[in-house]
Amino acid sequence: MSYLEDDLKMALRRTEPPEGFADRVLARANGPAPAEPSWWEYLLVLVRPPRVQWVALSLILSVMIPAAGVYRKERQERAEGERAKEQLVFAVHVAGNKLHRVQQKVLEMGRMDTRL
Amino acid sequence: MKILRSITFCILVGAASYGQALDLKHLDKLADRASNKVEVTLDGSVLKMAAKFLSDDDDPDSAKIKKLVGGLKGIYVKTFEFEKEGAYSDSDIAGIRKQLESGWSRIVGIQSKKDGDNAEIYLKTGGPDGGLAILCAGAKELTIVNIVGKIDLDQLSELGGNMGVPKIEVEKPKPPKKDD
Repeated sequence: MSYLEDDLKMALRRTEPPEGFADRVLARANGPAPAEPSWWEYLLVLVRPPRVQWVALSLILSVMIPAAGVYRKERQERAEGERAKEQLVFAVHVAGNKLHRVQQKVLEMGRMDTRL
Repeated sequence: MKILRSITFCILVGAASYGQALDLKHLDKLADRASNKVEVTLDGSVLKMAAKFLSDDDDPDSAKIKKLVGGLKGIYVKTFEFEKEGAYSDSDIAGIRKQLESGWSRIVGIQSKKDGDNAEIYLKTGGPDGGLAILCAGAKELTIVNIVGKIDLDQLSELGGNMGVPKIEVEKPKPPKKDD
């Protein structure tokens, strides 16, 4: 315990500032205010790599862009599939309808023959 | 090398399946004269894709259509409607008839003098796969259907019967009444 106390005392002991420190602080405080950064300096701050936001943004984009491509392709395939389905249903109904009408006529003719 | 073989195989299979379908290009010239024209071309890959999109709960017919087209390789339909009678002649469909002369057998041929409707049904007899061709030539309408692959005609007709046309009920003879 005593070693710890000694170490703390040593670390927190009062020390004098370097020579001329107070004058330098006063001179700085009384001097002209620092200039406002211009617009291009703000832009420079934005594009200065590496920044956490840029890394995050690039990660998001690297996921979003392929995902958007996959979604678009899937949507296009779905639209083509739906169109093909409509055509198929139509074609089958047309074919079935014609076949059905022919069968109907054959049956009608058969009935007429029977009556005769 | 494997890729090259696969491509060659695909081209040959494609050419073979294409060759089984009727060439309906002869009818393109009728498009200008027709007031309405409907053309459906569903070959192998498109047909498979379309069948995938048929779900059982969409429509009661969907399941039947899905089952029906399972073994098909292509469905081609061309329908022309004309405003006036005599807009086309036999020579316009002679090219189709010529194709149906070999490898096909006509199972039904109806010529109606009453309404001027002619209908013919052909089944493909040559080649490994079956096929069906329906040629309906009315006074103001011409329809050609070509189906490549094996198809159940009863199922197809049943689907056609649902489209506003009443289903034919064949009368069954009643059993004789027994007197007790």
